[in-house]
Amino acid sequence: MLTVTGLARRHRQASRALFTDLALSVAAGEIVALVGESGIGKSTLLNCIAGLDTPDSGSIAIGSPAVDIVRLDEAARAALRARSIGFVFQAFHVLPTLTVAQNIGVPLLLAGVLPAEHAPRTQALLDDVGLAGFADRWPASLSGGELQRVAIARALVHRPRLILADEPTGNLDPRTAGQVLALLLERVREQGASALIVTHSRHVAESCDRILTLTPQGLE
Amino acid sequence: MRILAAWLIRAQFRTRRAATLLSMLAIALGVALGYSIHLINEAALADFARAMKTVQGEPDAVIAARDSAGGVPLPLLDEISSDPAVLIAAPVIETRVRIGSQRTPLRLIGIDVFSAPALMPALLPRDAERAATGGILDGGLYASPALLGELGLQAGATLTLLRGDQRWVATIRGDLPAAGRDDLLLVADIAWVQEHFGPADAVSEIRIRLAADSDLAGWRERVAASLPPALLLRVAEDDGERASNLSRAYRVNLNVLALVALLTGAFLVFATQLTAVAQRSTQFALLGVLGLPPRMRLLQVLLEGLAIGLPGALFGLVLGYALAMAFTRLLGGDLGGGYFAGNVPVIVPRLLPAAGFLLLGCAASLAGAAYPAWLNLRQPLVAALNNGFTAHPQRARERGRQLLLPAALALLAGGLLQLPALSGVPLAAYIAIALVLFIGVAGAPLLTQEIFGRAAGLRLPAPQRIALQNVAQAPLMAQVAASGLIVSFALTASMVIMVSSFRVAVDQWLDHVLPAPLYLRGKASPLPQELLTALERPEAPFLRVERSAHGSLTLDPRRPPVALLVRELDRDDPAARLPFTGAVLVPPAEMPVVWISEAMHEIYGSRPGQTLRLPVLGREVEVFVGGIWRDYARQFGAIVISREDHQRLGGDFRPNDLALWPRPGQEGAAGDWLAAQVAAHGLEVASSGAIRRLSLSIFDKSFAVTYALEAAAMVIGVFGLAVTLTASVWLRARELATLAALGFDQRMLRHSLMLEGALIAGIGLLLGLACGIAIGAVLTHVVNPQAFHWRMPLDVPWLALLAGAAATLAAAILASRQAARQATRLPLAQVLASSQ
Ligand SMILES: Nc1ncnc2c1ncn2[C@@H]1O[C@H](COP(=O)(O)OP(=O)(O)O)[C@@H](O)[C@H]1O
Ligand SMILES: [Mg+2]
Repeated sequence: MLTVTGLARRHRQASRALFTDLALSVAAGEIVALVGESGIGKSTLLNCIAGLDTPDSGSIAIGSPAVDIVRLDEAARAALRARSIGFVFQAFHVLPTLTVAQNIGVPLLLAGVLPAEHAPRTQALLDDVGLAGFADRWPASLSGGELQRVAIARALVHRPRLILADEPTGNLDPRTAGQVLALLLERVREQGASALIVTHSRHVAESCDRILTLTPQGLE
Repeated sequence: MRILAAWLIRAQFRTRRAATLLSMLAIALGVALGYSIHLINEAALADFARAMKTVQGEPDAVIAARDSAGGVPLPLLDEISSDPAVLIAAPVIETRVRIGSQRTPLRLIGIDVFSAPALMPALLPRDAERAATGGILDGGLYASPALLGELGLQAGATLTLLRGDQRWVATIRGDLPAAGRDDLLLVADIAWVQEHFGPADAVSEIRIRLAADSDLAGWRERVAASLPPALLLRVAEDDGERASNLSRAYRVNLNVLALVALLTGAFLVFATQLTAVAQRSTQFALLGVLGLPPRMRLLQVLLEGLAIGLPGALFGLVLGYALAMAFTRLLGGDLGGGYFAGNVPVIVPRLLPAAGFLLLGCAASLAGAAYPAWLNLRQPLVAALNNGFTAHPQRARERGRQLLLPAALALLAGGLLQLPALSGVPLAAYIAIALVLFIGVAGAPLLTQEIFGRAAGLRLPAPQRIALQNVAQAPLMAQVAASGLIVSFALTASMVIMVSSFRVAVDQWLDHVLPAPLYLRGKASPLPQELLTALERPEAPFLRVERSAHGSLTLDPRRPPVALLVRELDRDDPAARLPFTGAVLVPPAEMPVVWISEAMHEIYGSRPGQTLRLPVLGREVEVFVGGIWRDYARQFGAIVISREDHQRLGGDFRPNDLALWPRPGQEGAAGDWLAAQVAAHGLEVASSGAIRRLSLSIFDKSFAVTYALEAAAMVIGVFGLAVTLTASVWLRARELATLAALGFDQRMLRHSLMLEGALIAGIGLLLGLACGIAIGAVLTHVVNPQAFHWRMPLDVPWLALLAGAAATLAAAILASRQAARQATRLPLAQVLASSQ
């Protein structure tokens, strides 16, 4: 599903390279946890995989038939993200000027699905993430846990093959964090998608299929 | 994708209602002004053309004298009539007469009843049924229905027509059924008009219809070459061009005002969209991460600009139409410019120009949205998602490089100012003005960094320090907030400078051209001999009388004629009467000398020392150009010749204006003496003081519109500052919340923000003033000479400008108070807790 080979990245002005020859692969339907110290380069790795950052060398093959996102131009990367990748961020990032249902519908719009066909899908997802009845609410009136549920629904709505989550529970209290994470894993498994989840939580990591630790020497 | 775009636009309008509406309104105002000026002028030109068609018919060509005092000799009529290419040649005598003691002279047209019907159907007379005897050939007079209505007369009435000392008592035999609704005309047989008012052996014009198969261009060339120099041949197209030349400069000036409004509109779109982009940079980054194609980040902002511009421009068209209707009702077709006298023209909107103005409005708002759209495209996604808006997506350029662009633009502007006008429109100068504004706006961040970067090193209390640092370090927001003030204050200041320079110059000029205490005018007709002889008698209470005769010369059939003024002045000391702009040359003794006005110099390129060939007195005469004098009264050029020279050339001096110096102590008697003459001959008398007051009041009235626009521009500028400051408060919510958490109380926050607003406004006003003086200089020294053909010295009214700046600064501080209120209402705890 995802195969990273020979990846090297060094930020401008940085004293050392974050990684020089990194390899990683995630099988279809596999959920992998990525852990490591703060500042080690986890977010940078995720950004490279999503085509938001460009590695100095290496290749990142996504999907089948595999496409190397590194070789694509910006428009094609955006199209690939819209088609095959779902995101969950630490800071929720829900559009404040759209309703909950509209927020969830955005990836469908980007994938070219007509809004008339959205309703059943978004409704089902809202039920799944426990937000039935929230469809027409504005984000400003939602709690952090609720916002992250919206974000999870949005990450899944267009049935992407790969989910990337960067510390998805970092802004939530432990109890809510547990609930939200369980929900995320459950939904990803149900859709049969692959996922790469960055986390600091031992508990989260252990619920995944595999744990990778990023160190200055590479992945362990 | 389209649905997403629509969602975002709707959200945008909902959250930024005031700014969006204001931008729309400014665009609407620009379009409305431009469009209404276009409509009014179009209608006035059509009206002018229609009026001309009534009087002149639709001949293929006209032969006329270049000198308004001259005529077309009768033998030429026979010659033209026998030309095989000519189908009809209709002679016409046109003159101005007064009816009894009525003041305004009327047109009396003498036609040849055999040739006129085919060429001038609108002048066909109709005998009244009750008319007892005689028709047009027996000396009957025919009046247009409008004139009959105005005089309250009917066929059968007897009129006394006066022109100078000549008079004709004639009876109205009927009317002119085909004349226009508003035309005030008299028609009679050409022989009768000639007998009473002259000219002997000549006619005013020959109007010609060519045979159907003849080649107009070839015929024109052949005949024009064979005509004596005192005559000219004009064809139908020349007339249209001449009419449009008449009002071009005035139109250009009004159009600039429309452009100012449009430019302010574009700027407001810029400010609105830039703050909108900055506020939503995280949202756009998120959409980018979710897979929004990069070009959509550009298109979305442009689309939002268009969503402001299109309704704005549409509203502008409607408003423009309404304005045009209202203005023509109030002021007539020349907007008070005095070029097309009289009637209310009919406004007919056509599709193509309307579409043009619609596009112009859209283009202005797109131009305003272009830079924000580009910035939005260039936002680095990850950084924008985590930290919000980056003002400089590329690396900041070095100081030297930053200076390079303004310097290059300044050079370019300087070069443009050397270029001549493009068919009467000072286009290059307008582009230079836009460049000056651009330089001012682009220079703002440099200046802010330079000044406040240094001041931030001072020891200051915390709120002031924070304000200084914010202004110094957030140059983009400061630039946007300041640029509104730069643009609006620069335009306002430049207008004030231009108008003030002009007014001061006109004031001085009036001093020079009105040396006598009293003036007497005979309007278009010569003064009666009786009056002139009475003035020469010793008992007349005048110390000195100077007479002058006004005529006109058509030097180029496509341009309005040049005034020819025959004046009683000293050939060796013309500077005693004329305000010369440069050296006065001593003419060769045997040669007649003329002094030309600035407009004559600018339009026809004549210069002092040159020998001109003028078509006066029925021939071409060589005259020496002795100097250039300033004339703010005749925009299309004027030539002054002394009475001695004119008479030496064989001219017949028939004065129509007098300058009078009453004997000292006899001012009252002089007034009474004149009053009697005025009553007897239907003349007009005015003191130099009254003329001066009237001139200045007309001047002030014609610039009144500009004051309203200036005020509007300043309001928009201050509002722009308020909008951007408020936006920047929201953008910096986290920073402000942090400050609050660190112990800033609400008062300190408010003070800090108000100081920031004041500093930004100060920079904006400073740069605006600098740009305004530069633009004012361009307007007075380049645009005015190119458009109106007159020059004037620059006069900067410092007191008015500084007072305006102070008032604006006060308004800006009040506006930033509003923004500061917003800041203190921020839900600080919430802002700190969320990262958004
Ligand atoms: N755009 C950038 N330019 C320079 N350095 C960066 C940039 N982005 C991240 N870094 C640096 O790269 C390192 C890794 O950052 P990141 O991938 O965010 O770490 P993590 O997510 O593991 O905490 C950090 O030291 C950070 O300072
Ligand atoms: Mg990270």
